[in-house]
Amino acid sequence: MRLSDVSFRYSRRGPWIIQEVELALGAGSVVEVTGRNGAGKSTLLRLLAGIVPPTRGSIADRPPVVGYAPDVFPVDQPFTVSAYLAQMSRIRGVPAASGTALAERLNASHLLGQPLGDLSKGSAQKVGLIQSLLAPPGLLILDEPFSGLDEQTRTELPEIIEEVASAGGAVVVSDHQNQLRSFPGADHWLVEDGAVVARDGERARRTVIEVIVDADEADEVEQKLRADGYTTRRAT
Amino acid sequence: MIRLMRFKLAAYARSHRLLQPVIGLFTMMLIFYSSVIPDGKQLTSYADSAGLLIVVFAWAARGLLDTEPAAQRLISMTAAGGPRREIGAGLLAALTVNIGLAAIAITLPLIHGFASVPPAGDIARGVVLHLLGLGAGTALGALTSKPIMPSPATSMLVLFGGYVMLLLISLTPIGSFTVPVMPWMRAANAGTLDEILLPVTAATLLWSTAGALAYIRLRRTRP
Repeated sequence: MRLSDVSFRYSRRGPWIIQEVELALGAGSVVEVTGRNGAGKSTLLRLLAGIVPPTRGSIADRPPVVGYAPDVFPVDQPFTVSAYLAQMSRIRGVPAASGTALAERLNASHLLGQPLGDLSKGSAQKVGLIQSLLAPPGLLILDEPFSGLDEQTRTELPEIIEEVASAGGAVVVSDHQNQLRSFPGADHWLVEDGAVVARDGERARRTVIEVIVDADEADEVEQKLRADGYTTRRAT
Repeated sequence: MIRLMRFKLAAYARSHRLLQPVIGLFTMMLIFYSSVIPDGKQLTSYADSAGLLIVVFAWAARGLLDTEPAAQRLISMTAAGGPRREIGAGLLAALTVNIGLAAIAITLPLIHGFASVPPAGDIARGVVLHLLGLGAGTALGALTSKPIMPSPATSMLVLFGGYVMLLLISLTPIGSFTVPVMPWMRAANAGTLDEILLPVTAATLLWSTAGALAYIRLRRTRP
């Protein structure tokens, strides 16, 4: 995906939010976007997601499946979590079971029967994350995804990002809390005064493998793998 | 796009926003048909109904398009594969709701309101006029929806003010060049509707399409 000479403003006489940006986003790359409040991070993410077109310039080779999680998930909707995820699955043309499996992974199964309006901020963020992952994204855009999340999901999220990237998806995360600072190989884009300054990270190519062991030995194997520096996750 | 349209309709129905235009519609029906419409006056009644219900159609379209919170519209755009599909699904959903309201407006007087069932030709003319009314109403509702007019006060003022302006302008000599509501009401009353139905249809479709295209264009930078 390539942004060529991209500029954007919301109205003809309005100020330029993004100006003359040249960027490339490769398959499997992970990018952390930072910048002060109002710098234009969310606008940049909307341009990347194809929500708004550039006023000038062009964006080419956007992957067909885009996952997008806004900074604040909109809970003011008359659905339960499961009904909402079923609707989103239908729109994306994927089985409704995708949402249930993701809810289980993010420890959100207990939320499925709850009305969206009853969710806490963190729980709503989880639903926002789940809907963005319903179809395997070629481009995943997360706007301040760590905000309000519990510790377990904060730990889980970098692993999910890693999996999407390992599967060839590009991931762009707006993250003013700098939670991805230790993410191996993440590139960094700084949005400032309408410009975007890119700094490449040194990213080791990673992949996900499944290791099947006897249940009795699971703890021991997991400890060994972790001692060797690998990230592990249990599948049930 | 059809799946997203269904999602929008489901949200609209569950949010109970649908009740507002339905109550408006039945109130108007109550006024229109409080006394029985005698034979020969059914088409006049249909023409009045189609013209006066434009504001209800606009209200319904605006309510439907405002049901989704702003952030959900962004999610829907990416889920459906682009903003055009989200915008198209919204307009289709609004048209669907208004077709349902128009169907009630056409059917109800046949059951209670008309002294007798009018000739099929008059019912067909009534259907055409209601389709024109719902087209104009949907466009007006879309142009006053939240992405275009974020302030509810401004939006309501423009919706109702716009409708009143439409009626007033259509009273003037240039009325035939706008949405000609008054000309079609007068012609139906005078029994000359067939003579002006074609230009009335063309003018209404032109303005409704122009309104819808303006809405689509404005949504480019107002997701």
